[in-house]
Amino acid sequence: MTAVLFDPHENDETGIAELASESVVIFDAHGTIRYWNPAAERLFGWPALTVHGTELTELSPSPADEEHASSRLVQEGWWQGRIGRRARGGGIVFVDVRRHLRYDAAGEHRDTVEFARAAAAVGIPEAAGEPMTDRMMAASWEIDVSPASEILARITARAGIADQSELDNLHCRLVEASRIVEVNERSARLVGGNRGRALMAGQSVAAFWPLGSRGLLGQLIVAALGNEDGGQCRRQFASDGILRDPQVSVWRAGDERPGHLFIAVNGAADDDRSYLFLRASEARYRKLIDYMPIALWQVDASHMGKIYAGLRADGIVDFERYLEAHPDLVDQAAATVPVTDVNRRAIELVGGTGMPDLIRPVGYLFDASPDSLRRVMIGRFTGKKNYSELMKLRTLDGRMLDVRFSVTYPEPRLELDTTIFSLEDVTDRLRMETQLRQLQADFSHAARVSMLGELASSIAHEVNQPLAAIVTNAETSLRWLARDQPDIDKVEQLTARIAASARRADDIVQRVRGMAVKQAPDPVELALNEIVQESLLFVRHEVEMRAVRVTTSCARGLPSVIGDRIQLQQVIVNMLINAVQAVESCDEPRREIAIATATDDRGDLVCTIGDRGPGIAADHLDRLFEGFFTTKAAGMGIGLALCRSIVAAHGGDVSASNRPGGGAEFRIVLPRAESFAAAAGIAGAASGSFAARASRSA
Amino acid sequence: MPELPTVAIVDDDEAVREAVEELLMVSGLACHSFAGAASFLAARTSRQFDCLVTDIRMPGMTGTELIEHLRDQDDDLPVIVLSSVLDPQVRGHALSLGVHSWFTKPVSDERLLGAIAAAIGNRSGSGQ
Repeated sequence: MTAVLFDPHENDETGIAELASESVVIFDAHGTIRYWNPAAERLFGWPALTVHGTELTELSPSPADEEHASSRLVQEGWWQGRIGRRARGGGIVFVDVRRHLRYDAAGEHRDTVEFARAAAAVGIPEAAGEPMTDRMMAASWEIDVSPASEILARITARAGIADQSELDNLHCRLVEASRIVEVNERSARLVGGNRGRALMAGQSVAAFWPLGSRGLLGQLIVAALGNEDGGQCRRQFASDGILRDPQVSVWRAGDERPGHLFIAVNGAADDDRSYLFLRASEARYRKLIDYMPIALWQVDASHMGKIYAGLRADGIVDFERYLEAHPDLVDQAAATVPVTDVNRRAIELVGGTGMPDLIRPVGYLFDASPDSLRRVMIGRFTGKKNYSELMKLRTLDGRMLDVRFSVTYPEPRLELDTTIFSLEDVTDRLRMETQLRQLQADFSHAARVSMLGELASSIAHEVNQPLAAIVTNAETSLRWLARDQPDIDKVEQLTARIAASARRADDIVQRVRGMAVKQAPDPVELALNEIVQESLLFVRHEVEMRAVRVTTSCARGLPSVIGDRIQLQQVIVNMLINAVQAVESCDEPRREIAIATATDDRGDLVCTIGDRGPGIAADHLDRLFEGFFTTKAAGMGIGLALCRSIVAAHGGDVSASNRPGGGAEFRIVLPRAESFAAAAGIAGAASGSFAARASRSA
Repeated sequence: MPELPTVAIVDDDEAVREAVEELLMVSGLACHSFAGAASFLAARTSRQFDCLVTDIRMPGMTGTELIEHLRDQDDDLPVIVLSSVLDPQVRGHALSLGVHSWFTKPVSDERLLGAIAAAIGNRSGSGQ
């Protein structure tokens, strides 16, 4: 590439010059062409990109005239006159020009603007005054055929020998091997999709040239390369759905750029959409994307796609393992996959000052969670359409965010190889969820303490029994020891009893402490039957005091549950206390509670707690689990509501009904360990129903 | 030879029951322990006791009910309560039924033995 193209939209004046019917050319203090408007393209035949960076004198048939004009210009600040200029067609175009010097802020000569019209006397037919329209502008290309040198050599070798299909094939391969150096706006608009000019550079010409006429273009290239005088080779192509009856010209770029060719394509757009319509539609689309409330990144991972294809061809199937052995590939992706476009929300999200902060290799998105990038790569390798996960994002201004990261992979065989990342800031949502979980944990703790309060006299009595035994046994031992002939055997026996009683007291204290202490829920694999037995210990004394019979029926071989031991105990103890209270005023034969464990038809675990008390009033059944609903004079109405929320957090369900023979039955269903783990996995780490997962990771 | 005074112990907690038994044994008293009021009352029909040490909170018949039952039967067996119950109403009611002493667990050996000795002494004094 010889010079950076002047961006016609960079400032207003050149934007206006784009539309001028007069040829407008800007060249710098050294006479190097910096700007060449579409009218100049038409007047002299040279597409802008072919003359950028060239000296004006190179286009002059008599440099002496230019020198004369130049000295007058410097003296007067402007110059008007007639000059000759080489045209692309090989001839010389005579034009009437006006040139004006322009100065920079420091007063130094910045550049010269030249306005030109075909000289009337020479009479080049021209529809002066008609504005340049898009259809008149050539779609121009600069290409490099040097990567195709082998194919060119083959074409030469096979000339006159090969049949038509072989030649066609070679010409197509020539176009495939040729690389794009530069294209103008019109080419980019016509065939570049949304990639833009910068991204077309370096890619195969075939990636953008219509399939049907690749062979023909190959022929033209060969002809232009063979053209002795460097003149252009022109051919009328068939309409290709992009342009109607396009004229394609190809000529060599010049000796200083071997292997480089220019291509100019003239023709009217082959659809009914006007240029303005297209521009407006594109602008609307861009605006829509730009103002989307979701942060979007467009990245070009096409070269990674090629690497993956190569690995696949080498027989790599387990890409995850491959990456473990080759972590450098992840680093390579981080450092080489460029971000090609972002929207406003993206800039806002990462705290950038503008688009340039974000238009660089994607690595900065994965600074805080490099493993996420690895998983994104695995997703593409395994042919997924998209992938999403929660990850940490360190912003450019140093904040740490929780984001939902989603990637949409390019679909194979579609024209565009663009990957889209979308990031959604979920920091606040996660924080709120954590707070809610904390509240729920506080609440269940408060309820546990209140439940222990209900059991306080039972607990005191239970602890006091072993303590009383310990004191008495110790004093009895002392009496034995105080005798003239101490009975050591007796003391040994009593001391063993002291130890046993102390352990018993300790067990009770531990059990109560587990309930009383405030701790984060700790989900582990548990046996439901154990939870039931432990819960019964809490109410044993209550049950005995009130002469309530408890029958337990624990199914064998139950699957385990995932849950928090204390919270599940809390649920069952709560329901047992309710059951005891329901039957305590009944006649002795009806003072009965039945607790049973089983599995249901789906293999989930079921625990039922039934009593033979008065049962639940029909109009209370629906409201039983609502917060602050109570039928007890001193009740707060939080027990069952909390039971339901605890069971729900475990992925289960709790329900109540009346037994046919009288009395109430509460039914707790808990998912078996495998299915709960799977369900939580699907829901994702953060939105998963179990409280502890996220609260610990947060 | 005069019989050793015999003390009946009623407590649902085995450890407590055994501990009191051992204490009385080392102090030279004979004793029989019962896990509940019902079994004590059954034994009472065929046996003579000099003192009763009973718990209050027990499954089935409570200590209070046992004392009431004895009083209903005009049984003047001295009763010592050894319990964890702190409720002053329950205590007051028991004392009004003529309970000799009321101890809250855990009790010191001296106080319990002293109370038992006093209860038995009173009884033998009044009975002879």
